[in-house]
Amino acid sequence: MWETLAQAVINGLLIGGIYALVSIGVTLIFGVVKIVNFAQGEFVMLGMYISFFLATQFGIDPLVSLVVSMPVLFVAGVLIQHFLIRRVLGPNDMPQIFLTFALSLLLLNLSLMLFSANYRTVHTSYSDEAWHIGGLYIPVAKLIAFAVAMALSGLLWLFLHTTDLGRAMRAASQNRDVAMLMGINPNRVFAVAFGTALALAGAAGSLLMPFYSAYPFVGQVFVLMAFVAVVMGTLGNVMGALVASLMMGIAESLGIQFVGADSGLIVVFALLLLTLAFRPSGLGARRGR
Amino acid sequence: MPRSHRGNAMIGDRKPSAINNAVPTKASQKKLNRRRFLIKTGGVLAAGAFGAVPLRGWAADPINIGALYPSTGSMAQIGVGCVAAAKLAVDMVNEAGGIKSLGGAKLNLIVSDVQSDTTVTRTETDRLISGNKLSAIHGCYASALTLIASEVCERARVPIITGSSSDQLNKGRSYTFTPFARASQFAKAQLQMAKLVSEQAKVAVIFENTAFGTSTSNGLKELAPGEGVEIVMFEPYSAGFTDASPLINKVKASGANTLFSLSYLNDLILIVRTVKQVGLNIAINGGSGGFVMPDFYKNVGKAAEGLQGVAHWNHDVNDDAQKVNAEFKKRTGEFAFEYAGGLVAQTFMLADALERAASADPKKVREALSTLDVSSGYAAMAPGGKVKFGPDGKNVYGRPVGVQWQNADLASIFPKEDARASLMKT
Repeated sequence: MWETLAQAVINGLLIGGIYALVSIGVTLIFGVVKIVNFAQGEFVMLGMYISFFLATQFGIDPLVSLVVSMPVLFVAGVLIQHFLIRRVLGPNDMPQIFLTFALSLLLLNLSLMLFSANYRTVHTSYSDEAWHIGGLYIPVAKLIAFAVAMALSGLLWLFLHTTDLGRAMRAASQNRDVAMLMGINPNRVFAVAFGTALALAGAAGSLLMPFYSAYPFVGQVFVLMAFVAVVMGTLGNVMGALVASLMMGIAESLGIQFVGADSGLIVVFALLLLTLAFRPSGLGARRGR
Repeated sequence: MPRSHRGNAMIGDRKPSAINNAVPTKASQKKLNRRRFLIKTGGVLAAGAFGAVPLRGWAADPINIGALYPSTGSMAQIGVGCVAAAKLAVDMVNEAGGIKSLGGAKLNLIVSDVQSDTTVTRTETDRLISGNKLSAIHGCYASALTLIASEVCERARVPIITGSSSDQLNKGRSYTFTPFARASQFAKAQLQMAKLVSEQAKVAVIFENTAFGTSTSNGLKELAPGEGVEIVMFEPYSAGFTDASPLINKVKASGANTLFSLSYLNDLILIVRTVKQVGLNIAINGGSGGFVMPDFYKNVGKAAEGLQGVAHWNHDVNDDAQKVNAEFKKRTGEFAFEYAGGLVAQTFMLADALERAASADPKKVREALSTLDVSSGYAAMAPGGKVKFGPDGKNVYGRPVGVQWQNADLASIFPKEDARASLMKT
């Protein structure tokens, strides 16, 4: 019993790290640019395909291809922000919703056309490896993914708290209008935020590749969890999204283990409802605001 | 995002493609002189001016066979493989002299893309039948699509022959022929295979909570006691999960020695990989469909070795099948998967019926199919080795073959009569 429980928590924590990378991206964009990016999952998918093709064409390890997928998606993010998102920012939410939703549909169907609906898998020497400690096992690929995800989250935290640009982003996230009055260039801040969010999605894709299959619809599996985590961890709060993602991973795993194999999401959503009932603005909300 | 894959329609090849295997004329080998040149070009120009004139007496009219496969959309890869097999089969029939009772008439394949979509399947089947004089149709790989195409064919009174396994195809139909094992037979074969692994078969059944998973798993549950197989775990899961570890944790706790996973490809890949990671010693039966495709091995790699499944055809059933396999491999680079190989056999069944009907009329072809009785040649290359249709269009000798991934290839291991390799214990 103790063993099963511990194993369930380990499993949940490891997959929670991936949820975290996706949800941090969503929450960063929402916090700074104030739009919901429905296409975030599709950028994870693109990250996976980048890693897949680098691995199959050039034999580059998916984890190494992180250094390609992240910059590529960062640039894509900056361009999308500059040429598309910037033009629909305004008092009306609808064009923004339609834009990111359209972007999601476009990327989905483009990848269906270019890559077909087949599942693509990369084999690495550590893909099917696991460390066995006592009665527990820890899959190596997932552990690496988790560690890198946490390191990237930590770097993002440092960036947001120690650099001028990071502080400007946080300022814009807390109160965009006042931040602009203080002389912060919104376009620059928005572009960096969008680029960073997409780079994180790309990282998630590359990290997934050693143990998960790439296919055009793969992003949608992860983006649902990301949205839940963003709401649970308070909209726009990076730390909140991180903690909520890890909690959700564990909740899902415990749900599958002890409630029923099709009940993982039920437990996740029950947790969301409980959070909203007792802390309506989420886990990361500051008291007294 | 339902249906969004239909965006593919834009690039889909909607024009029916046809292969014509006209015999080269002797004249073309002779040296051309000016008069012959004028006669030839004049003829071509006249044909262009007055519409194509069929060259009667010169060669028998080709016999049109319709082929409905999803060569775009989510099932595209399999559909393309089916079309390759259909072309191979037609070439084989034609190279052997065509339909002799019709003056050596050649088969002419008319391929139509049903785009992995039920609505498109209906309109394409209609279009194919109304736009061409067809003698018979084959298709569509996926049961969901075949059920629709079969309805249209029944109404239009054009025989359809299919490798799809849904038992529904044998209900209230008279123009639908299914020469291979039915879905209900697959379940039984899977349970019997569990006993190959251990006399005390303890099976864990995990299935995705969809119509496919639920109906198939219930079939297994009902048949298990009769086969002397104990089901120790019976658990639905949500399709498209991110992590199979918790599920495999449960399988481990159940003490099962065989795992039946009724899953689509992506979930199955995750499940197999996770079983290896956990180091769980359990025989896995992945069923049919995506599991018995070359792509499965490419995705799973060495971890697929020893995995079992069921198929309605396998390339090692007999020498004829091996020949087809070799030719298919030459053309596509992959071994002939169950549906492709079965499709070649189906084409030869049609050729046999046409030969006996001595007519291209679809109703007469149906009559001839209903009295088909073969036990040798390409038409009979199936597990069981014999084809004869009952009144429900079901092959009375049809049975599935149990297969196992061995050395990157699918080997037939069950039942004894069809086994070409012994079970590899994992």
